[in-house]
Amino acid sequence: MRENRKYRYIAAFILLILCTVFFFILNVCIGSVTIALSDIVRTLTGRVSNETFTRILWDIRLPRAVAVLILGGALARAGYLLQTFFGNPIAGPFVLGISSGAKMVVALMMVFLMGRSVRVTSADMILGAFIGAMVSMGFVLLMSRRVNSMAMLVVSGVMIGYICSAITELVVTFANDADIVNLHNWSRGSFSGMTWENVKVMSVVVAVVFIVVFLMSKPLGAYQMGDAYARNVGVNLRLLRVCIVIFSSILSACIVAFAGPISFVGIAVPHLAKKLLNSTEPIRMIPACFLGGSVFCLFCDLLARMMLAPTELSISTVTAVFGAPVVLWIITKRKKTHM
Amino acid sequence: MTNYYFSTKKMCVGHDNKPLIREMEIELQKGEILSLIGPNGAGKSTVLKSIAGQLKLIGGTVYIGGDVLSGMKAGELAKKMSVVFTEKIKAEMKSCRDVVATGRYPYTGWFGILSGEDERIVYEVMELTHVADIGEQDFNRISDGQKQRVMLARAICQEPEIVILDEPTSYLDVKYKLEFLSILQEMRDKKGLTVIMSLHELELARIVSDKILCLKGEYTERFGTPEEVFESDFIERLFDIREEEFAANGKLLAYIRQIGKI
Repeated sequence: MRENRKYRYIAAFILLILCTVFFFILNVCIGSVTIALSDIVRTLTGRVSNETFTRILWDIRLPRAVAVLILGGALARAGYLLQTFFGNPIAGPFVLGISSGAKMVVALMMVFLMGRSVRVTSADMILGAFIGAMVSMGFVLLMSRRVNSMAMLVVSGVMIGYICSAITELVVTFANDADIVNLHNWSRGSFSGMTWENVKVMSVVVAVVFIVVFLMSKPLGAYQMGDAYARNVGVNLRLLRVCIVIFSSILSACIVAFAGPISFVGIAVPHLAKKLLNSTEPIRMIPACFLGGSVFCLFCDLLARMMLAPTELSISTVTAVFGAPVVLWIITKRKKTHM
Repeated sequence: MTNYYFSTKKMCVGHDNKPLIREMEIELQKGEILSLIGPNGAGKSTVLKSIAGQLKLIGGTVYIGGDVLSGMKAGELAKKMSVVFTEKIKAEMKSCRDVVATGRYPYTGWFGILSGEDERIVYEVMELTHVADIGEQDFNRISDGQKQRVMLARAICQEPEIVILDEPTSYLDVKYKLEFLSILQEMRDKKGLTVIMSLHELELARIVSDKILCLKGEYTERFGTPEEVFESDFIERLFDIREEEFAANGKLLAYIRQIGKI
């Protein structure tokens, strides 16, 4: 039994890594110009200098694929943290309105600062998104004190999301035409237009948070047992709660700043990872969620680019198609026990 | 200050800064078993939560092994005290063995990986508490009585000097009730475990406890040995049982007289 479990974990991680590699390669190969794997290797190692291929690979496909990998993992991780925090299987940055809060602040920044032709860097965007995420998170926390049902918490999160989206729409409507072009794609969620500069910033932020959260896996595991027992084994609950709130907000902010709000990944992936591992232990779930989120987003981004090529779908359209059924599945399964 | 292992001085407990019970003075030697009895709503759980450091004291001090409870570090306290509350542990996709093993938390390293020694203790405790046979079952799929035993195993696994239990026998059948109490006595005799628990079964409280604390109203109703507490018609008064109410029912009346005498 115990041995079986170990094999299951190993098999699960091998599967996740293989899937990540597989979809990463597909994302790099497939596009408006299909490039064979052999050509990619030759181009990247510099043995063949095909100017077009080099351009497409270095400037467009690779940064985008790496960004999807990083942000997808971050998104699933943020969802997992929020689900742990609220003890709620359908919590996530999108449903709780945290993504929308971040989106609102970033939209305000873009319209007002870019309108005055002030240059906005990636770091500024993350900071703005972080402030927005924290504001939404603050509202959700206030609501969570007043409502004690899981369903009502999610409903209040969705409401906060709507309010923020409405304000964003309002700002976009009154913005200059030139700004709207930038905003429109982004505000619906898209991985397009990633640069190496973006990738550098996001990888540093996500890597630091990944390591810190991974180091927190022991107290997180105790936290899952319930407050009384976590406190009894010596967990500093207040500190842990503050950490979860801050780190999940940083992750959500980072995603929104670069790719806009993306739905359902945060709920669906942790749930699928849990089923795959048959365990909720943070020490395994944290890396599994990251890999799972990467695979899920690579797959969805591929579809978003290819289904109606050359027109690109918004990433949330695709993630919703695959993520929403998972959420429905969770809800119907939960009914039997509690909620 | 005192020779007692566990004591409270002028302890005042309650929720939201509203005092429920005032000026509680409890004194226990190491290895004594204290049972809290009293009617529903008397504040037994509130007292236990306060003693366990889970509820802020409104006034007074709790001493454990010479240290002031509120001044102890969380990790330090976790090695001395464990709890079994009425609220169940949340354990999604955890086997009973996993739940028991969470008691090792204060002793494991940064990532909480169990050492061979930890595994051995988990195994021993599960044998002792008779939950070894359900070790691989999903915690959420066992009965409430089985859960209660697993929760006790978890608490013992923490290798505490003192254990706080809130109605630990409520879901147990009579055999396991007796077994449960015998485990506590065995732990006390072998390891000097101090026990503080709330019990509804007065007969059992009388047999197993070294001290009894009766709660009713704003102050401690009584604190002492079972002999001191269970005298004449004290139980009837503690629970407000009036014989007139049951005068028409001969069998109940006989039962009341019997429990009054235990």
